[in-house]
Amino acid sequence: MSILLMLVPISLVLLGVAVWAFVWAVRRGQFDDLDTPSLDILCDDPREAPLPPARDSDAD
Amino acid sequence: MNAAVTGALAPAATAASGICEHCGDALPRATDRFCCDGCAAASAWIREAGLDDYYRLRDAPAGRVSPEIGEAHFDLWDRPEVHAEHVVSRDGRLETTLLTDGMRCAACAWLIDRALHREAGVASVSANAVTGRVRVAWDPAQTRLSHIVQRMAALGYAPSLATGTAAEDARRRTRNRDLLRLGIAGLGAMQAMMLAEALYLDFNASMPLATRDFFRWITLLVSTPVVFYAGWPFIFGAWREWRLRRLGMDTLVAGSTLLAWGASVVETVRGGPHVWYDAAVMFVFLLLGARMLEQRARRLASAQVDTLARARPAFALRERADGSIENVPTHALVPGDIIGVSVGAVVPADGVLMADALVEESLLTGESAPVAREAGQPVYAGSSARHQPLRMRVTETGAATRLSELARLVEHAQAMRPALAETGERIAHRFVAALLVTAVVVYLGWRWYAPERALEVTLALLVISCPCALALAVPAALATAQGQLSRLGVLTLTDRALDRLAAATDIVFDKTGTLTMGRPSLVRTDLADGITPARALELAGALEHASGHPLAAAFPGPRGSMTASDLIRVPGQGVAGRVDGQPVRIGQAPFAANRADDGAIWLGDGHHALARFEVHDAARPDAKAAVQSLDALGLTVRMASGDAEGPVDALARALAIPSPASRRSPEAKLAMVRALQTGGRVVAMVGDGLNDAPVLGGADVSIAMGRGAPLAQRAADLVLQGDSLVRIPQAIEVARRTRTVIRQNLAWALAYNVVAIPLAAAGLVTPWLAALGMAASSLLVVGNALRLSRPVRAPGVAA
Repeated sequence: MSILLMLVPISLVLLGVAVWAFVWAVRRGQFDDLDTPSLDILCDDPREAPLPPARDSDAD
Repeated sequence: MNAAVTGALAPAATAASGICEHCGDALPRATDRFCCDGCAAASAWIREAGLDDYYRLRDAPAGRVSPEIGEAHFDLWDRPEVHAEHVVSRDGRLETTLLTDGMRCAACAWLIDRALHREAGVASVSANAVTGRVRVAWDPAQTRLSHIVQRMAALGYAPSLATGTAAEDARRRTRNRDLLRLGIAGLGAMQAMMLAEALYLDFNASMPLATRDFFRWITLLVSTPVVFYAGWPFIFGAWREWRLRRLGMDTLVAGSTLLAWGASVVETVRGGPHVWYDAAVMFVFLLLGARMLEQRARRLASAQVDTLARARPAFALRERADGSIENVPTHALVPGDIIGVSVGAVVPADGVLMADALVEESLLTGESAPVAREAGQPVYAGSSARHQPLRMRVTETGAATRLSELARLVEHAQAMRPALAETGERIAHRFVAALLVTAVVVYLGWRWYAPERALEVTLALLVISCPCALALAVPAALATAQGQLSRLGVLTLTDRALDRLAAATDIVFDKTGTLTMGRPSLVRTDLADGITPARALELAGALEHASGHPLAAAFPGPRGSMTASDLIRVPGQGVAGRVDGQPVRIGQAPFAANRADDGAIWLGDGHHALARFEVHDAARPDAKAAVQSLDALGLTVRMASGDAEGPVDALARALAIPSPASRRSPEAKLAMVRALQTGGRVVAMVGDGLNDAPVLGGADVSIAMGRGAPLAQRAADLVLQGDSLVRIPQAIEVARRTRTVIRQNLAWALAYNVVAIPLAAAGLVTPWLAALGMAASSLLVVGNALRLSRPVRAPGVAA
């Protein structure tokens, strides 16, 4: 049963990693927008050369 | 190539239907593709930028793009006053939160996100369609806020400033903290359950004591943050309830969690036979999840109305004493100031008009046609100037305006707890009190009878009755029902909505805009000799638009210099006035053309007819299906309209609604509802306009159409987001099922306790059996609530 002395701390470390990753994701705003990413997958990939947006005044 | 093909086909399909390709408004000329230059420009930009997927992804049409956008002064957004209050600097970038009322679905958020990313110098964008907020960060060396704002406005998302960086930051911090709590509770609970499982599976107590204690200490380590960090809202709530001297749900939750945790710590330290860490963490996690779902559903429900009410312009044009104009931030205005509002701009404060003007009050009334207001009449913040600039004297500013009042009412509605949750709380209150007394009695009894088992039996009693099931019974069902309703596009705004909807016996519909599209269209034009169709439409359009009548939407807006003067409105008959010096009248036949009434609209000079128009407001395509489903649900369907008998009866026949009531004023509609209520009926009212607000408020439960007036929505219990009436019977179905599930859950939780408590008090239940019973009971209640998330189909309609 001494294997437990290794496995349990490992599971605790993994838990710590999971908590850290979650905190990081929340802080970085990964959960701020849950709607638009699901639409991205429905779009075609960007075209070869995206057309520049129409700008009359400041096309320099 | 698929996108290109659909992109090429879509315009042909929509152009034929007579609505604008971009915003879905009625077209002035059937041959056009867009209703105005603004929409055409926005659509052209979207296609050129390769973002035309937007048209495929969206499930609601975009907002109309005002053609005046090009001339608007966005330079103001770069002024230091704005930056001081609304912009923060982070890592050399500037960041702000903008509000916009145009975002109607996730595709809008997607479009804003993509469009802003294409602007040079924009570092990050995050648009949320639910809250109507766009957070944007940019590099001040490469671009300016005014560029970003202009791009949004050109796409039809007129931006306004959020409440300020401090309030926005606080909002985000609260949200993130809630998420962190839930996440930590989830991760911690999983780990603690895993360790607890190992202890439970040790049936024959063959585990060495050292291993067992090692497991227990590890579980203590993992569960402590869950109980105290994630469970802090409950502990804090319990402390608050304690100070108010009342026993509530938080006391129950915090009490059980702390008891299970505390008893486990005692057992761990003294090496007793059982620990209950798993009970404590699972309780915290499940309840936190249910609470967050419930809150999210309600936030979603009021976010739309909320955004509308908070949006207000950032600047005002104030007249100095010498008559010159200065540009000041809105918060610098004081009552008594004279301000100007340019065409298309939003009125920044409540005030009194100093000259006649056309005002659009769609934010307050939902009526998008401008209304004529005379000098001396009030004008409210949030309205906008149409056709000519306004000049007004400010009477109320900031928090005292009607717009802010509206926002406060919405916030109040948001803070209310559902009536069903209150019921659950009342039951819990008595339950906790009774339980504590029982526990003391049982402990004393066992002290006297068998002192060595007293603590064990009392713990078993408290754990087995650990009122998880009771505490979860109502919130779990409500959270699932709210989620299901918002998926259907039905938002619940008040606490009584679900409860009363389930009990409704009668449902009363308004006609225009509710059962019909509310978008009148010309179906037939007959002309007298000597007038061209274009001229007839111009005259009719000029009169109708100047009068602000709902039928105006059927006629093209006034073009160029053609405006009506000397307007006289004769209620119920029509409008008289002069166009280009020519006296004209439009309205019912006797009034406009001196003929017998035939239900059509006549244009004439009072004696001779110039033209005859037939206007038709089509019924919503699914109105009949909705009425049939409501019948199938056993509701009595009724109709009350302010319209004339003819069209009302015709629609009622088409939809098979018996005995429709026509020519009803808002007061008469309210009286009708009151009469039904006196007869013991529970009345649901469905309406859309401001004139429906009183009857919406008076009905037992009210449903407002999402496209209707925000004020009508404020008076309503539920708001229908889309245009589909079939959602109403579906919502009633969900409400009824929710009521059933809540009753089943409460009955189960109480029955379980009635059986379990005497057994535990008699010392027949070991603590591990108690913990198992409690867990099973909670899971059963949650599982029962989850049945509500099954999709609903409108009854009585073949799919």
